[in-house]
Amino acid sequence: MKNKIFKIFLWAFLISLVLFFLTLIFGLFQQLKITSVQKQFAAGEIFFAIKLTLLTATVSSVIALIFAVPIAYILSRYNFPLKNIVNSILYLPIVISPIALGAMLLIFFNTPVGKFFESNIFRVVFEVPAIILAQFIVIIGLAISLVKSVFDYINPEYELIARTLGVTQSQTFFHVIIPIAKKGILSAFVLVWARAVGEFGASVTLAGATTMKTETMPIAIFLSFASCDIYNTIVLTLISLFIGIIVLYGIHIYAKNRKPPL
Amino acid sequence: MKKVFIIGILLSWANFVCAAEELFFFCGAAVAVPMREIIKNYEKETGVKINVTYSGSGTLLSQMELTKRGDVYLCGSPDYIDIGVRKNLLIKGTDKIVSYLIPAIIVPKENPKNIQKLEDLTKEGVRVGIGNPEAVCLGLYGTELLDDNNLLEKVLPNVVVFAKSCEDTATICVLKKVDAIIGWDVFESWNPKDVKWIKIESKKIPRLSTIPIAIPVFAKDRKLSEDFINYVLSPKKGGKIFKKWGYISDVKKAKKYAPEAKIGGEYKLPEKYFQLIKK
Repeated sequence: MKNKIFKIFLWAFLISLVLFFLTLIFGLFQQLKITSVQKQFAAGEIFFAIKLTLLTATVSSVIALIFAVPIAYILSRYNFPLKNIVNSILYLPIVISPIALGAMLLIFFNTPVGKFFESNIFRVVFEVPAIILAQFIVIIGLAISLVKSVFDYINPEYELIARTLGVTQSQTFFHVIIPIAKKGILSAFVLVWARAVGEFGASVTLAGATTMKTETMPIAIFLSFASCDIYNTIVLTLISLFIGIIVLYGIHIYAKNRKPPL
Repeated sequence: MKKVFIIGILLSWANFVCAAEELFFFCGAAVAVPMREIIKNYEKETGVKINVTYSGSGTLLSQMELTKRGDVYLCGSPDYIDIGVRKNLLIKGTDKIVSYLIPAIIVPKENPKNIQKLEDLTKEGVRVGIGNPEAVCLGLYGTELLDDNNLLEKVLPNVVVFAKSCEDTATICVLKKVDAIIGWDVFESWNPKDVKWIKIESKKIPRLSTIPIAIPVFAKDRKLSEDFINYVLSPKKGGKIFKKWGYISDVKKAKKYAPEAKIGGEYKLPEKYFQLIKK
């Protein structure tokens, strides 16, 4: 009996949250029915925004993981002086508001270093790389934190055994640790990618809201809302929801069907 | 001691519940600076509590449409009054003009590209910023200004960014991320140390914008809403503060900058704009 009550207790949380989200989505359809169309739906613009969002989120997530994997490995396996301070600095993007991060980046490109970069390497501010950089800065803390928990759960004995068998440290990392951590890293990728897809504050501050240039889906939704165009706001939100669900569901299925490495 | 504590809590709760009159004010962020001061004075003088939300004019209308609340609405351009009335969110005929806005070229104080007139924005290498013409009133007025002077095709290639709001348009100029923006005259008084107002030849300005204030259909106490609006418009109260911050409240003074310009009204983006941005 006690077990049953406990199970009901657990399920109650799950069901209430899922129902709440479904109610939110249902609310969108309800509002859609009573809201009048204000502006013609610009399919070309929406298609561009979707393409740009998916492209920039994928690039920024890949770059974030390229940085996160070695950093998380160091934080998980080694102790070094000032580790706590370094930890705090790396996780700052998680606690700082995205608009503040965007403003920090915009101000950085006003410093001599930023100006030198823009005039001699390539332009970032108000261009597509600005979206990628903004998304990267917003998700990197989360990426490090997620990948570090994956490494934390891998028993260091695997590495010790590999080393005693005469394998180098890099071989151990690439042929023992990474295969074990692959699934966890993939899950981390999915989460940071999803966060990057929804990123708005930092991107709009650094890249602007230029139609057909730096207009991602969240920016398109904002611009519709800011034009008092509730109808298009809902349509764009539903498109974002649909894409998000399809992609996340697809990746979960893919990850589920893969055989574990060990 | 415990009893005193409980009575204290009950009293403060009663005070909260039976609070003095209050107004829910949806206010365009473009006038946040003078409005904060006006609200503070009004609350002090009348005891009426003003719950204010600052945001973009369209965002506020969207919030009003979804929440069905609001006692006073102030926006950055008259277009939003038309939308609000059309959507039955604002009471027709209640809108009054708080201030006039003059389209202007705003440059960083040093004016790095030596911009002196509208035509200078067409020069090669000049980086221009405007508000997003489809969502920001300033962008729409800027596009009309360029279109009316047959400069749209030549200036748009130099436009490197559409900002998401009037304030963002001003900020990118303050941060020197562009060489010029098409902004409002008041931007100079917002940041006098960082930016400069380059006056546009008066006959070249097709339209002046206004900052209107109106009463939403959801107003709980219309008389109280009117009282607050009258305070904002009063030359000795709100008007004085607006003037201090560089806003023009007198139509004659505004007309000095553009005698032939229309005031308010609607402008629709031309087809060539969409072609130019390849939409």
